[in-house]
Amino acid sequence: MDTPALELTLRLAGLTTLCLLLIATPLAIWIARGHGLVRRVVQAVVALPLVLPPTVLGFYLLVGMGPSTWLGQALIYLFGHTLAFTFWGLLVGSVIYSLPFAVQPLVVGFSGVDRAVVETASVLGASPWRVFWRIVFPLSRTSFVTAAVLTFAHTVGEFGVVLMIGGDIPGRTRTLSISIFDHVQEMNYAAANETALWLIALSFVALLVVYGRGAAERRSELG
Amino acid sequence: MDRQGLDRPHHQLVVKGQRGSVEMDVALELTAPWTVIFGPSGSGKSSLLRAACGLVPGVQVEFRRWDATAKSGQGDWIELQGPARSLPTSWRELAYAPQGTAIFPHLTVKQNIEFGWKSRGAFGKKAGADRRFVEEAIELFAMGPLLKRRPRELSGGERQGVGLARAFAVPKAKLVLLDEPFSGIGRGMREALIPAMRARLAALGIPALSVTHDVEEALLLGAEVVRLDAGKVVARGPAKQVLADERVAMMRTLIGDD
Repeated sequence: MDTPALELTLRLAGLTTLCLLLIATPLAIWIARGHGLVRRVVQAVVALPLVLPPTVLGFYLLVGMGPSTWLGQALIYLFGHTLAFTFWGLLVGSVIYSLPFAVQPLVVGFSGVDRAVVETASVLGASPWRVFWRIVFPLSRTSFVTAAVLTFAHTVGEFGVVLMIGGDIPGRTRTLSISIFDHVQEMNYAAANETALWLIALSFVALLVVYGRGAAERRSELG
Repeated sequence: MDRQGLDRPHHQLVVKGQRGSVEMDVALELTAPWTVIFGPSGSGKSSLLRAACGLVPGVQVEFRRWDATAKSGQGDWIELQGPARSLPTSWRELAYAPQGTAIFPHLTVKQNIEFGWKSRGAFGKKAGADRRFVEEAIELFAMGPLLKRRPRELSGGERQGVGLARAFAVPKAKLVLLDEPFSGIGRGMREALIPAMRARLAALGIPALSVTHDVEEALLLGAEVVRLDAGKVVARGPAKQVLADERVAMMRTLIGDD
């Protein structure tokens, strides 16, 4: 078992989930609030990572953050080097790659909250901040769990983006899925098998949480 | 504001523009302690209340409140919404019981009723004094036995009661907006509630604007009635006068004379 890779993978997935919930929440609130053309375009852009080959995304991120662009220049100015082949580069890539997995469940959740309830809360004097924490968040709790678990699991499983942006540097950018690839290339099938079984178990538990919660929620609504 | 203070204009509401299939063109000055907007469904009644709350985008709204303390005691109109500015919904100091109640489904009855109080900074010295608005609303609508219940355990009438209590519990509201406040509440209950609610608002000096399509309710409230049809005011005055025809028709039915 490649322990540094496991540790790195969990750290990457955890941070990606945290960042994405912070980014996706306001974005999903905005998307769920209206039906304009701009919102549909943004929704389509958010969904792009679902259909693009991860290597396409990884390639553009690598070039986009590379030394030949203003963004890359700015990064070099700030940190002394580009984000390519670093953990932070992986994090940026993962956040973009998993964006739809956080945004879509939240959009569904927010759209399901009765508009009249939200409006009434604000007429009764609640600030937008209070409306969110006391009304919208509790009423769309399940969607937050779904978004978090899917983002986490999806990040654990990513390969193409991580390989393109991160290279394959042990302890720094080598995640579990890349570790498996390396094991197979070294013909070390036993090690690959062990890591792969871990990933299967992890993903299965994650999905069990999502579906288990969904069922519990439905029961409590009926009860 | 004392009782007499209500006999002068306290709010002005102008709403113009297309709202669904209704072309709204209303300019209202509220003077009575309780004003009822009466009209058939689809006449734009609810839209008027929602416009005052700032919840109707795309129509032209002017909403002003008389502030007797402004201009060092001379009083002045304060613009809540108009060409110059538009206050956020939560700053308009309104109490509101919308149509269909819109109870917060995940909160207990008590938490629902306390919501307005807690939203207006329910901490510090003021909180203790403002708490009485909550207690009095609970008493007025006999919510005591229901406080720990969840909305899904309530009957339609009880939910309506929670919605009304929640509006009445908002501390120091400047205007109470009630949209079909007695739908789902039995006749006997309604006849008991109306005088109690009027007395309560009169004691606090808070004016009310309610909406109904029920002739009997408008007559019972004995309020100033504004008759709305297809987005326009077609009559205005004391209930008995504006609803004279309906009153006669109602009596005929009661006597059984066709």
